[in-house]
Amino acid sequence: MTDSALSVAMSELTEAQAVAVAWRDGPMFVLAGPGSGKTRVLTTRVAKLLADTPDRSFRVLALTFTNKAADEMSGRVTALVPEQERRALVGTFHSFCMQMLQQHGSHIGINPDFAIYSLDVDRQEILRDAIKQAGLAADDIRLLSTIDKLKSRLVQPSGSARYFRDPSDGKRVEQVYTAYEDALTRANALDFGSLIAQAHRLVTSFHGIAVRYRKTYAYWMFDEFQDTTDGQYQLIRALAGEDFKNVFAVADDDQIIYQWNGASYQQIQRFRADFSPQELQLPTNYRCPPAIVAAANHLVVHNIQRTTAKQPLEAGKTSLRYPNEQHIRVLRYSTDEVEAASIAEGISKIDRARWGEVTVLARTRYLLEKLQAALTRKQVSAVISQRRDDFRSPQFLWLAAVLRQALRPLDRRALEILTGAFNRWFGTDTRVDLIITATELTERSLLDEWAVAVKAALSENPGAIALVDLAAKFAKEPTRFRSFIEAVLTRIPAQDDESSDIAEDRAAWSDLVRSIGKTLGRDAPLEQFLQELAIRSKEAPVGKNTVTLMTIHGAKGKEFDHVYVVGLAEDILPSFQSLKAGENSPEMEEERRNCFVAITRAREWLCLSYADSYRGWGKQPSRFLREMGVDLPVTPAG
Amino acid sequence: MQLKRLKIANFRSIRQADIDLGPVTILIGTNNAGKSAILEAIRIALTRRWGQRGTGFTEYDVHLCDGRPDPKVGDPVVIEVELQEEAANEWPEDLHGELEDIIQLDPMSGRASIIMRVSCSWDAAEESFVPRWEFLNVDRNPLAGRGARAVNLQEFFQFLPVFYLEALRDVADEFSSRSQFWGKLLRTVQIPEPLEQKSKRIFDLLNRRLLGADPLLANLATGLSHISRVAAADVPGEADLRLLPLNTWDILSKAEVIYQTEGDKPWLPLARHGQGVQSLSIMFLFKAFVELILKDLYRPESSAVLALEEPETHLHPQAARSLWRHISELPGQKIVTTHSPYFLQHVPFRDIRVVRVGKDGTTVGSLPRQFRAPVPYIPQLDAIVAASAGLITYDRGLNELVLSGSLPQKQYRQLLVAYGDRPDRQAIHAALRKAFDTSQEFISDAELEQLETFARRIRGEIFFACRWLLVEGPSDYHLVHGIAKGLGYDLDEHGVSVIDFQNNGSPEIFAVLARALGYPWLAVVDGDAAGLDYIARIAARSFSADEIARRTYSLPAGHLEQQLVADGLQPELKAILISFGNAAAASFDDATLIATLENDKIGYAAVLAKQCAENPVLAQRMSAPFRNAILSLRGLT
Repeated sequence: MTDSALSVAMSELTEAQAVAVAWRDGPMFVLAGPGSGKTRVLTTRVAKLLADTPDRSFRVLALTFTNKAADEMSGRVTALVPEQERRALVGTFHSFCMQMLQQHGSHIGINPDFAIYSLDVDRQEILRDAIKQAGLAADDIRLLSTIDKLKSRLVQPSGSARYFRDPSDGKRVEQVYTAYEDALTRANALDFGSLIAQAHRLVTSFHGIAVRYRKTYAYWMFDEFQDTTDGQYQLIRALAGEDFKNVFAVADDDQIIYQWNGASYQQIQRFRADFSPQELQLPTNYRCPPAIVAAANHLVVHNIQRTTAKQPLEAGKTSLRYPNEQHIRVLRYSTDEVEAASIAEGISKIDRARWGEVTVLARTRYLLEKLQAALTRKQVSAVISQRRDDFRSPQFLWLAAVLRQALRPLDRRALEILTGAFNRWFGTDTRVDLIITATELTERSLLDEWAVAVKAALSENPGAIALVDLAAKFAKEPTRFRSFIEAVLTRIPAQDDESSDIAEDRAAWSDLVRSIGKTLGRDAPLEQFLQELAIRSKEAPVGKNTVTLMTIHGAKGKEFDHVYVVGLAEDILPSFQSLKAGENSPEMEEERRNCFVAITRAREWLCLSYADSYRGWGKQPSRFLREMGVDLPVTPAG
Repeated sequence: MQLKRLKIANFRSIRQADIDLGPVTILIGTNNAGKSAILEAIRIALTRRWGQRGTGFTEYDVHLCDGRPDPKVGDPVVIEVELQEEAANEWPEDLHGELEDIIQLDPMSGRASIIMRVSCSWDAAEESFVPRWEFLNVDRNPLAGRGARAVNLQEFFQFLPVFYLEALRDVADEFSSRSQFWGKLLRTVQIPEPLEQKSKRIFDLLNRRLLGADPLLANLATGLSHISRVAAADVPGEADLRLLPLNTWDILSKAEVIYQTEGDKPWLPLARHGQGVQSLSIMFLFKAFVELILKDLYRPESSAVLALEEPETHLHPQAARSLWRHISELPGQKIVTTHSPYFLQHVPFRDIRVVRVGKDGTTVGSLPRQFRAPVPYIPQLDAIVAASAGLITYDRGLNELVLSGSLPQKQYRQLLVAYGDRPDRQAIHAALRKAFDTSQEFISDAELEQLETFARRIRGEIFFACRWLLVEGPSDYHLVHGIAKGLGYDLDEHGVSVIDFQNNGSPEIFAVLARALGYPWLAVVDGDAAGLDYIARIAARSFSADEIARRTYSLPAGHLEQQLVADGLQPELKAILISFGNAAAASFDDATLIATLENDKIGYAAVLAKQCAENPVLAQRMSAPFRNAILSLRGLT
């Protein structure tokens, strides 16, 4: 059965893909262009490594960048080698570090049931308390982003002062950073940056941990290696030590678009220097029509920061829906308003059943919002797809906060969220500070006190009272959280009059529960359920017949039949900042890669558009249009 | 893979217990001390079959006491097992791979450990006692993430199958086709298909022939066919007589062991043999089971844990004595309870665990090579560890400080200081104090070897005693028995073992042994230079002055004969000598009397002891140290 599933998958590989899949020991670096089947290469290689060694117990590690991609990859591996599924660890850098810290974190003082603070508001709250407790200045709260930068460079609080030119600045940051980390520790919590930084600390402090990971995970694979941050790369280095060489990285140096987040061509160069990998290129693009491939090639050769010997993309797509001359369209409009309206108009004419395969990409969110408004006017359903760190509806915010409160009865932040959400939901005005004061007298738990307070305020609302009772009962037996969730879900209204928040959150919730169930099994305890919930996006899956609007960053790794790229004008794409940095600046190159990523999302058809003015300012057409070698309209349309 | 340590709380008769386990561990103790509870704890912890009755806990498993009359209220039952590699990668690679998610690491040495906890308390919502199995990290917090997945348990149990042989072993049960070893063994037997078919044909043919041989049989079969009309509603059925097995499994399931004790005796089924043979056969059945099919039934890397109750049951002392060797040669890890001094005679000291119930719960006495303190790692330890020449180490796989011998005061102080400024120092200091104190009980391998040599004869017996009375030699041995009887405190009846240490080693080793294993003890020595030296040697093993004063008695007048004479027993002593045919004794002066007695220590002492036993008045005239020691044995702790 499975043999055949795998052998079918193997037989469908191209020659170059097959070489990559068959690669066994030693370092390998695969330069894979967009649409070259790199996910297929990775998953098939994982499956093959496992299938080839049925009697061995080592595991294979495959890391990618989003939970969605990880879920997809692990699903494919399971389909190929179901009985070996246990030996594959497919995850994100963050989930991998989370697991490492859950299992071995105690050596650096981290308990396995740590909470993950993914929301900036939560983190600011923690920092505010920390600052207060340490007697530091209240406006030090703005140092949070500085702390994040230090963390992303794996700088620990102690000694962080030396990273600042001004000693007094450094001293202050070190104090605030230390206070912040201490507060996280007291709360038994980690933030996103800590996951990587603490894993690195663990591995570098204890030789034995890295040795074990090298032994347990005999082969490592990295997807989208170009997006690895400095911290992530250092972690890989520390784990690999001097001798481990079974690293297999798939990257495209033309798709580095997270430079601002620490991704850089340097990482690829470091990988080459540190591991001396064999290199393999997968230049054949099976996604885009030939015209788009050609445009992408024309565009990207203007970059200098890329692999010198990189082969241009080759068009490998065989079945095309439209004739060749229709694959790229370039549209020019007088203003951004007209651009949005006209694009919306165009989309509204596409068969409704295909809207799910249509996307509009833009450099910034501003243009997407304009587009969404225009589409709404045309009765085209459209969502701006973006990672969501939290739910939107008070109903689901309340549900998640009650879960958290039950697990951590002393967590005041959870109390604040659940109180606020419930107030919004039922129009009550329960006050957190009064609840906290009251608990000191009554010695009730925070949640019980909240229940008492809110019930007093809810004179005539049986539905709300039932929810309060559910929560109070649940808090006494937090292990039964699944039945609590079920009960609450039946009491959350199906629809909200004003917005689609509830419906979206509900869709997101069931998606999350499914995804978490796949990672942890269906009987995972509450603390782990919440850990997994914290690291996942709460964005609803895009519904059927809905147009997706995305920033180019959000579109990475995705593909659509119809792709509109709007706002191809100087100062927009390329951005004003990159123009300021100069013609040959790294910033400009990053913008060019943004454009490269955007256009290579298209499976069938690409529409490039720009306006002569944005927000009332006159703009030139993007240089990238010229570089792509497409013809520009002489006059604006519409 | 072996269990290294077991911790139990609130389970049956055990409020709290902490037991180190070796490849073979022998549990001894009085009835109801908790030995079987320990075996049961292991069995419950290492077997969980979903939805199967008899696994997990019931209300009868909760330890009840005065402070806790209701099993539904109070602290949970907790059983914790720890496993640890002696050196990195000692466990097979596949085991590492399969159990990766639950393995904890000594991050320096790379040694792996696994800590599992089963806890159980009343769940009001479920209305039952709900057990919870979880793996822990080195800080004893439950693992999260992949380490918390239920699938880990099944894998773990596969590597560590546990088998339980109860004291009441019944051959009929153990050799039935449904039994744990025999049944499973039979089921793995594979008969080639052609042979199976051929056998079936032959059985069928023979069956028909036999049925045809006597019309009675055929008629009987027809008569029985009526069953089906009644039993099966409308469908016509048939009944037949089967005189032969239906198939080969039918044959196999009836297979039995026959055994011939000696060459000319008849071959008999096991059940026809004596209880001792039956009991032994089951143990060898286990051996065969493990060697033949364990790895097929479980995993190639699996190692069995055998919980064995009273293997000596029904065995002749000679057989019981040689039993230890057979048991130690059984595959896997063995945890054995016994009540047999004969069996214990060959058990190495370090394998013995003395289980007792005291007012502070169950105590388990042992002679460990290491003493452990659960204290957190701090960098200041490194220097202390480095300077200790191997005496002190830190186990980062279990987060424990490890002492491999008696900890000297100086290093103890250094450790206290190292943790001195921590907010949690109180708990840490208490843990260090406990480890320091118990480490004073350390007995080296050399000393134990010495004991093995000298004390083999008495060791079986003394470990089943309640109290120990140490005396110098055989004459004292006889005498204290006699005096005690005369005083109305029969030493045998009260479980007091008298140890004449001169013939069996040295006094201090017995004192240290008694302390370590929890036997209350007293010593009576001569008041001469040698006797004083004995006391000094005991005191040198970290006994406090108070304790020496409480536990040691010396004869004020010197050695035994001097003391007897000083106590005015000349008439009795002379009479004994005369009864031995030494007529001149009547006119001996004290010095001659003493010298003569010294030449025949055992002889006169035996007679005097007998007289004391029969004559309370005489017993009362015996030397005060003897009498006081005997009187203090009552209620001695």
